[in-house]
Parts: sequence; C-alpha cells; structure tokens
Amino acid sequence: MAVQFDGGVVIGADSRTTTGAYIANRVTDKLTHIHDRIYCCRSGSAADTQAVADAVHQHCQVYTAVYGGPPPVATVAAMFEKLCYENKDQLTAGIIVAGWDEEGGGVFNIPVGGGIFQQPWAIGGSGSTYVYGYCDATYKEGWNEAETVEFVRNTLALAMSRDGSSGGTIRMCVITKDKVERHFVPGNKLPRFWEGKEVLAQAPKPSIAVA
Amino acid sequence: MASKGPVEGPSIGFDFSNYARNQYLGQTMGGLPKATSTGTTIVGMKFGGGDSGEEEGIVLGADTRATAGSIVADKNCEKIHYLTPNMRCCGAGTAADTEFVTNLISSNLELHALSQGKPARVVTAMTMLKQYLFRYQGHVGAYLVLGGVDSTGAHLFAVQAHGSTDKLPYMTLGSGSLAAMAMFESSFKQNMKREEAIALVARAIRAGVFNDLGSGSNVDVAVITKAGTEMLRNYEMPNERGVKSRNYKFRRGTTAWTKEDVRNLLVSEEVAVTAGAGKLQDTTEASQGMEVDA
Amino acid sequence: MALFAPPPMYADPTMAADKQHAFNPYSENGGSILAIAGADFTVIAGDTRQSEGYSIQTRYARKVWQLTDRCVIATNGFAADGNNFVKRIKQRLEWYEHAHQKQMSIKAIARLTQTMLYGNRFFPYFAYVILGGIDEDGTGAVYSFDPIGSYEREACRAAGAAQSLIQPFLDNQIYFRNQTPAPGAEPFVPGRLPLSTVLGLVIDSFTSATEREIAVGDGLELYVVMKKGRTTDDLVGSDNLIKNMQVQELGALGEGGSERTFLVSLPLKRD
Repeated sequence: MAVQFDGGVVIGADSRTTTGAYIANRVTDKLTHIHDRIYCCRSGSAADTQAVADAVHQHCQVYTAVYGGPPPVATVAAMFEKLCYENKDQLTAGIIVAGWDEEGGGVFNIPVGGGIFQQPWAIGGSGSTYVYGYCDATYKEGWNEAETVEFVRNTLALAMSRDGSSGGTIRMCVITKDKVERHFVPGNKLPRFWEGKEVLAQAPKPSIAVA
Repeated sequence: MASKGPVEGPSIGFDFSNYARNQYLGQTMGGLPKATSTGTTIVGMKFGGGDSGEEEGIVLGADTRATAGSIVADKNCEKIHYLTPNMRCCGAGTAADTEFVTNLISSNLELHALSQGKPARVVTAMTMLKQYLFRYQGHVGAYLVLGGVDSTGAHLFAVQAHGSTDKLPYMTLGSGSLAAMAMFESSFKQNMKREEAIALVARAIRAGVFNDLGSGSNVDVAVITKAGTEMLRNYEMPNERGVKSRNYKFRRGTTAWTKEDVRNLLVSEEVAVTAGAGKLQDTTEASQGMEVDA
Repeated sequence: MALFAPPPMYADPTMAADKQHAFNPYSENGGSILAIAGADFTVIAGDTRQSEGYSIQTRYARKVWQLTDRCVIATNGFAADGNNFVKRIKQRLEWYEHAHQKQMSIKAIARLTQTMLYGNRFFPYFAYVILGGIDEDGTGAVYSFDPIGSYEREACRAAGAAQSLIQPFLDNQIYFRNQTPAPGAEPFVPGRLPLSTVLGLVIDSFTSATEREIAVGDGLELYVVMKKGRTTDDLVGSDNLIKNMQVQELGALGEGGSERTFLVSLPLKRD
C-alpha cells in the first residue's frame, strides 16, 4: 500500500512470496527502487513485476540523462501503465507507484490490466480486499508523517492476519524531499488487534482427574 | 525457418520447425519423450563477515541424482555449474536447460569481462539469467541458485524459471528443497565460520538425499571466497553400492548367432604412375608408400 | 437373471462428481515384490519402502505376509488395498480351517484369490498379488495375479515399480533366455536352481533395483518356504550369511504339516 501525506508518501508491504502453498521467501523486499525519490510496490507475478520494474528503472535513467533531472512521479506511473496495458495479455502485474517530486507526494495505482488512478491512498494485492473497509473508515486528510506510518503499519498487519498469502514482516519506506527512510517491523512485533477469546481456558475444568 | 532479415545467415535462437510434427506424434503415440529432469536438492548460503573473523564467502551444495520419471538416469551428475572463476550456479529443473543456460551466460560473462576490462559482478550474471529466462516465459525450465564473490562482496540469488529473483542469506531449490530448508531454518546463523557453513550445507543436502526420492547419491560442495572457488566434488559419498552377491560373467559363446561373416576392412592397391612429376620417381617406392600394411 | 447388469459405480452420473474435482480413491505406493520357485522351496520377497510421489511415507511397511505353513502372499500397488486384501483373505483362510480342520492348499488359495479379486471387477483392489509356497506334491509354486483376478502359475515373477528392471533379469537367469548351453552340455531347465543361487539372485535384483528405481529401497524382507524334511543348512549355515543379513524361523501356524518358513531381512540403501 501507499499513502500520501503533506510533503511525501509512505509505502509499505508484507514480505511473503509464495509458490502454491510454499513460502519461497519470507523476508522479500517488495518495495522496489525506481529512481532517487520514486519507489513501487509490486503484486501479482514476481517475474512479471520485476521485469516491468527493471524496464521502468532503465527508462528513468535514460530520462534523467536526456532531461537533466529526475522524472515526475506521474511520468513514471505513465511508463508503468504503458507497459502493463500494452502487454496486458502476457502480464499479471498490479503495481502502486509512489514517490516525491516538485508537486509533493504522489500515489498512483495501476491495477492488473492497466489503467492509472491517482489516489491519496492505494492498496493492492491479495490481502487488500480484507482492509478496504478499514482504510475507508480510518483514513483522514492532513496527517503528519508519524500518523501516516502508523496507519500503513496497522493496515498491513490487519491484511496479513486475514490473508494466508500475505504475512511475514512489514517493510515500509518514507519518501520526502529530504530523505528516503526505511522502517522494518519483525514478525513478532506486529501490531495486534482483537484475536478472539481463549475458549478452552473458559471451559469448566473436568471434575475427575485423568490418571 | 529461413531468416528473412536484411542479413542472410543461420537463423538465431530455437528451431521450431519440428513443432507441428511433434505435436501430432505426441497425440498419436503415447505422449512426447520425457526430458531428463534433475529432481534435485540444491542449496546455498552466505558465511563469514561480521565479527566471525573470516572474510565473506558463499557455500553452494547439490546432490548428484538425475531422474527420468522414477528411473535414476545418472547416479553421479554434476549440478554445480561453472560461470566465472568467482561464480558458480546450482541448477534444478530440466537438466538440458540448466546446462545450456549456465553455459550461455558463462560465455557472455567472459565476453562482458573482456569488454569492460574487469570481472563481471554477481548481479550482472543474475540480470542476464533473469532476462533470458523471462523471455522464454518459463518454457526454459531452469531453477538456479547463483552464488559468487565480486568487488562488492559475497552475493547469493535464487533465479526461478519464469525470471523472478530473490536475494537471501540462505536458500534451497528443487524437489528436496523443503527437507533442506528445514535444516537451514533450524540451524542457520549469521556470520558462521567456513567449516560450520560447509557442515550445514552438507547436512541440508543429506536431508534431501535421504528424505526426497528425487534426490540421492552424493553431496557436491563449492566454496567461493575472494581468493577463488574450491570445488569439493563428491564431498560426501554416503550411498556407495555394496558388492553383488553373485558374479554375472557369461561363458564365451553364450550368445547365439545365425551367421558369421568376417570381412577385411583393409584395402591395398597398386598405383601405376602414368604422368606428372611422379613419373620421374621410382614406381616401386611409390606403390609401397600407398600400400597399407595388412 | 437380469438382461443387463447394473452399471459400474463410476459410470453412474449421479455418483461421479464434477470431472474436475473427481475424488480419486487410489494411489500408487511404489516398492517392488518378487517370487522364485525352486524344486523343493520357494523364495518370495519385497522391499519395505512405502512412498507417494517424491515422499517416503515409511521406511518399514510390510508387503509380504505368511498365510499358512506352506503359503506366503505379497502385494504391490496401492498399500491400503493390498493390506485390506490380505486381511480379508486371512479371514477366509481362518473360516476354512475351522470348517475343514486343515490349512488350505496354495492351489486353493490361488483360486480363492482370483474369486475375491474378480468380485471387485468394477471397483478393483488396486493390488498386484503374488502367492508363493509349496504345493501338494512338495514342489515350489508361484502364482501371480493382475488386479482383477487373472492368474497363472509360473517359475518366477516380479511386480511393482521395478518390474521392468527385474523381470528381464529373471528371464535371463531363471528361464535362461538368450543363453546358449555350452556345446555337449545338458540343456537348461528352469526351476531347478539351488537355494543359495536363488537367494543371491533375489538380493542382487533388489540391490540393483534400489540403484536405479527411486521408489525401491530402505529394507528387504525375504521369505523362504521349504518342503518338509528338506535340509536348512544352505540357509542357516553361518557361511551363507551375507553382511547385515538376519535369518529367523517362523513358527508353525497349523498342525501336522512340517514345511518350514524362514524370514530373511537385510537393509537396502535409503536414498
């Protein structure tokens, strides 16, 4: 997911990669560097999204050499969208592009098949359907950096607890004019919410001890 | 497929001209022939660095069984492939694909090193592999554990047949990967010593060899440091064949035959020189020279 | 009798679930079995590995079982069906013993096996069965079956995952196929090999199958059924023991018959 705030963006993702039921990588870094102040979050086929991200990464280097400055986030998002749309019959790639440029923080969602949607916040991937309601109910405009990081962390933890294909740890990135700062939440330090009651502890003890 | 490009020459890449014929044959007969697959255990891990007092390095490991269906096709094959002096690649999946793709990338890395005037980095090998494999959309069935040491340190990557890559401190691939991963998940520590790392890698391969039917025979190990690569071929051999209880030498003449025909394959001929420079020479000497000693 | 038989269960559209998620009641559990008849003994053997796909379910599962003092059964294919078949045939043999005050002959057990297998013609036991033992004349006997009851008496038979590896070897060594006798020598006659030779062939069959067939390995259990009064020196003599080989005599199950059954066990490679 990615969330905009005044002066930058916070992006975050879980760290699970699966092949069928097997967890091929439990500490994946799905926050992929595209340019100095632009990252993307990848979901769908690992091979497809890595190939697309590598291609856009190269386009950005050419862009910088030609125009003598960093590309705007909207431009980079358009590069992603073009690749995803024109090759839609061969790709399974859902990508969120986020970063900072002269306009401030920017978040662009590019769902599977193409299309480009600028949003103040975006979520994607298999776990996202579980937390649309939470995001709609919780998100407020005008948050500062710390509040935004908190929102991203809570949203991801909720999605990871419900979705079997998501899990592991949380990786986050704060991107502003001045910095790209990484945050890491280990699997045993994830925020916890209501998890149900312990049913067996409540049950009456058997009156006859078993030998 | 004749090339129709501006430059005439042999066509590049795979030849699909037998595709339609083979599809037909596959339907009418009992399926297409099976490719030898390395139902495999391959692993890799980083060691050294930190406060271990040893320089960073990579240990790679592989079993040596190749299978075709449930039959063992090769009891002692080599699955740790050479890329460059400081890079090796373990291959699982289709044997021919792992062999070919590592050979190809090895050649290209050599050319790359020559053109750049410095050794290629591990990320370069990883990028070349993933771009090649992605192009073939998983049809080139190579699943690789790539390890090496370069100017930027020790690196370990997994490359899947569809072209995705992972960077991890330890990893396992192949049909025995779950058994091997159990060893790493219980015993791996950051900054292990060289000997500890070799022992853990060998234990992971053994877990695959004994618990996965697709893996078997011996343990191969490669240790890569800045100084170079040490290939420990057949580092452990826990599955040597015992002696047979009987002797199966047949009596000479056991095999029956219907016809015996012995032919002399040696030909001798007389050469008489009739014209040219040879005419001046002694003809008997010339004919002797041409004669084959029978 | 009805003009038409009721349709087999799998042909009933109400029973057959959606083709895509059809439940498959069978699986293939690997391993191999083998039996060779001699003039006055029979050897019947099986490995002890039970597997599914690339996983080992257990390194010790029996495939060979003693039925009577002169008959041993081996099953291969789907282990659950094989075990169940043995359980039911043992029950039928117990009933027979209560009714007739004697153990059933191997010839009769063979016919019973056919009847029981064919009784499941349209939902078969997925099991390849081999019977081995001593017949009424005191001669070694091997009967082999397909899963629906077709059977035949033979001098030797291999079945299971390594059948294609072992049977040609047996054809050559037991039936002397593709072997010409030495000029002036007696012609080869199958079924006359001494026990020590047969034991060697069986052990070599399994150690070799273990080398090249991934579903075979872990251990070998080999039953030797001997005619009454036959010497046991060629089996239990200390110089006949192969390394790690254990021999144990199985006590008589019935009374009267003095055929003797021995169980020979030995480890196989575990990779």
